[in-house]
Amino acid sequence: MSVRSSEFFTLRWSNWPLALAAAVVVIPLAVATLPSGVAFWITGLAVALVVSTLVVRAAGRHARRYAGGLLVAPALAVLFVMNIFPLLWSFGLSFYNYRANRMAPPTFAGLDYYERVVSDPTVWDRLHTTAIIVVLTVTAQMVVGFLLALLFAREFPLRRYLLILVLTPMMLSYVAMGAFFRYYYEPTFGLLSQTVLLLTGERYVLLQSTVGAMAGIVFADAWMWSPFVMLLVLSGLVSVPKYLYEAAAIDRVSPWRRFWAITFPYIRSLLLLALLFRTIEAFKLFDIVFLLTEGGPGSSTETIAIYVYRIAFQYFRTSDSTALAYILLFTVIVLTNLYLYFARQRARET
Amino acid sequence: MARTTLPTLAAASLCAVLAGAAGGLTAPAYGKDIVLRMAVPDWPPTRIMKELADKSYKAPSGNKVTLEPDFIPWPDYYTRLAASLTSGEKKYNMAVSDSQWLGAFIEGGYYLKINKYVDADPALQAVFKDLHPAVRAAYSTYPYKTDNLYGFPQMPDILVSYYRKDVFCDETEQKNFMAKYKYKLPCTGEEMDKTTWDMFRDYGEFFMRKKGDTLAGKALDDDFYGVAFQAGKAYDFSTTTVHQFLWQHGGDIWDETKAPNSHAVGVVNSPVAVKSFEHMLSLLKYMPPVAKTGGMDVFKTDELFREGKLAYNVNWIGFAETGMSPATSKVSDKVAFAQAPGLKTDKDKDMVRWSQIGGQPFVLMTWNSEETNQEALAFCKWWLSKDTQIAFAKGGGQSALKSVYTDPQYVTFRPWNRAWAPQLDWQKDFWHVPEFFELLTEQQEQYDKAITGQQDAKKSLDTIANFQEKLLKDAGRIK
Repeated sequence: MSVRSSEFFTLRWSNWPLALAAAVVVIPLAVATLPSGVAFWITGLAVALVVSTLVVRAAGRHARRYAGGLLVAPALAVLFVMNIFPLLWSFGLSFYNYRANRMAPPTFAGLDYYERVVSDPTVWDRLHTTAIIVVLTVTAQMVVGFLLALLFAREFPLRRYLLILVLTPMMLSYVAMGAFFRYYYEPTFGLLSQTVLLLTGERYVLLQSTVGAMAGIVFADAWMWSPFVMLLVLSGLVSVPKYLYEAAAIDRVSPWRRFWAITFPYIRSLLLLALLFRTIEAFKLFDIVFLLTEGGPGSSTETIAIYVYRIAFQYFRTSDSTALAYILLFTVIVLTNLYLYFARQRARET
Repeated sequence: MARTTLPTLAAASLCAVLAGAAGGLTAPAYGKDIVLRMAVPDWPPTRIMKELADKSYKAPSGNKVTLEPDFIPWPDYYTRLAASLTSGEKKYNMAVSDSQWLGAFIEGGYYLKINKYVDADPALQAVFKDLHPAVRAAYSTYPYKTDNLYGFPQMPDILVSYYRKDVFCDETEQKNFMAKYKYKLPCTGEEMDKTTWDMFRDYGEFFMRKKGDTLAGKALDDDFYGVAFQAGKAYDFSTTTVHQFLWQHGGDIWDETKAPNSHAVGVVNSPVAVKSFEHMLSLLKYMPPVAKTGGMDVFKTDELFREGKLAYNVNWIGFAETGMSPATSKVSDKVAFAQAPGLKTDKDKDMVRWSQIGGQPFVLMTWNSEETNQEALAFCKWWLSKDTQIAFAKGGGQSALKSVYTDPQYVTFRPWNRAWAPQLDWQKDFWHVPEFFELLTEQQEQYDKAITGQQDAKKSLDTIANFQEKLLKDAGRIK
């Protein structure tokens, strides 16, 4: 016992129990007596101290056993602080009656907000809009990306430079894209309208109709993200061993058959991956719609992501927005797992 | 390494604790440095304020007070301010706030009620007495039009008309217009002040020209349009114009001052409201085609005007400075200003000019220390003193203080000043209640459907009325 207590009081970098005890005393004291700005940093310092003693101890004794865990610890810490903690916190809020811009403290509401959100016709309308956009834009991206990949799988002059050019849209920021397409579609100055004017003598107002606005958004999004699909498919195409094609050529296999028997199995999983990524991203589509149409005309292009933004940050109906956001998160997780399941099953078949 | 002892670290953290504590206690009793951190939208009226403050503000307390504005671009402004306030970071001591946000942020406990300071200070009472009542009600009160005071005018703003004098005053255009419409095409500011919506329509029809046509003696290298007003989907960019027509025709929005007995249904979608909205919609065809897309916000009409594509535009005074500057405007030397159009139903009747007030008050925050509040109030008093207001007006701002804008010199400061005072009596504001954003967004969406031709005026207003009625009932604002 005495040995243990003397060990406890030894000032060592590896003595984490002492550091923890010190932190337990210092943090409440700091919070209680000091201004919040100072207490915040002292708390941070104390936590850092505890963590570093733990690290030093683990590094000293069980270096091998814990090395992996230690290496990912900083990343996990950041993930926890920046992502998981707010996620759990807002999950909690979705069961409470709370508005971020009111003084009233949260009161427990159970599943009320989930019920409200699910029975809200506006939510279903926005989901419907989102579904249309997802189907259109993902289809367009898959087709265009796939065709581009087939094109770039061959060797031709200037291929490398053209490839870089084709990849640029995906590297642009959404805001730049939005501003760019806003001007592109603008009926007075815009390139599209000016071109139509040249051909027909009439200006063209794309964003006036619901169909036009939808088309404008889908085109902009597909323009930006088709190169991404292309990049994935292309990596699959170039990985097909040449000798398979040579063998096929000797067997005089038709190009159609050659594609399905040789090429497709190599790119199938990549196509699925592209489909998965793009569907999830398109499901969350916000930026382009917000910049191009603000959800208009009326609410005909308002995606569910924009609606969540409105109820969270314009109406400050915090509980509704968190409940809705969790339903969406759940949907995305289900979608992800569905695709992964299919992807795995296909992989097993081949 | 594991052997390094803890004392160093413990001592270091102890030092930090002591230093932190001492920092709060050991300040000299005189000539303190005080920083007023203020959230402001980034545009000329706030830039001018910062410039004036740096140049000439000396705190009467003897403290060294610095104004530290955080310039935030307009389109992000609400989101950024709301995020800062609701996050609890308590970053700002003051903020420039659109008047319709008052309710939301007062209920949130962020904006400070200033009645007790006003009651204790005759100088502040004098300021409020001198303030135009419409501006006082719009910028300072919550609930709207009560005696609870929260803000001071930072940049009071109203809609005025911007027009091209080279186009309107051209002799050939004058002659052709007279031949076609049987009355004189206005040229001077005084003539232009008399513009009615019928005349507005005529300007629109008359000046709509194709590329290659002649305008004021010159061949056009691109299409040209007669008129524009805001009719955009975002924020309040169609509501402003719709309310202008609504009030001028004699209709009204849901009246929060008469809650809980006032209603939205029957008011918002009354026959006169439908008529006024149809009137507004009928003018869109004389505007640049972007008006049909919901993209016609104030920034777009301002841009079209500065690019020389418009003869006449209705917009906030806040944009005037950029319209006059050769660095930002192709028509800097051709722009003139007059009052916004009004409604004249009969030749013998007076013009009705009701309009949606723009501009912003600034407010104090509830978490300020007493000392900061005193300095902030002293700053507000300096800002609303006659000399500062005159300097502000000369630099491109506006003053809502009677003693300033009734000064005969006032109209000589900037070319739009003459349109200011006569229109002040005609200003109203929309709701200050915390639910304003939901009321507003529904309007913007439904108006947009009518503006883009998806549905008619009646359907839009019926939908809005039902939505607002339900929302206000659910929120407990009406019975």
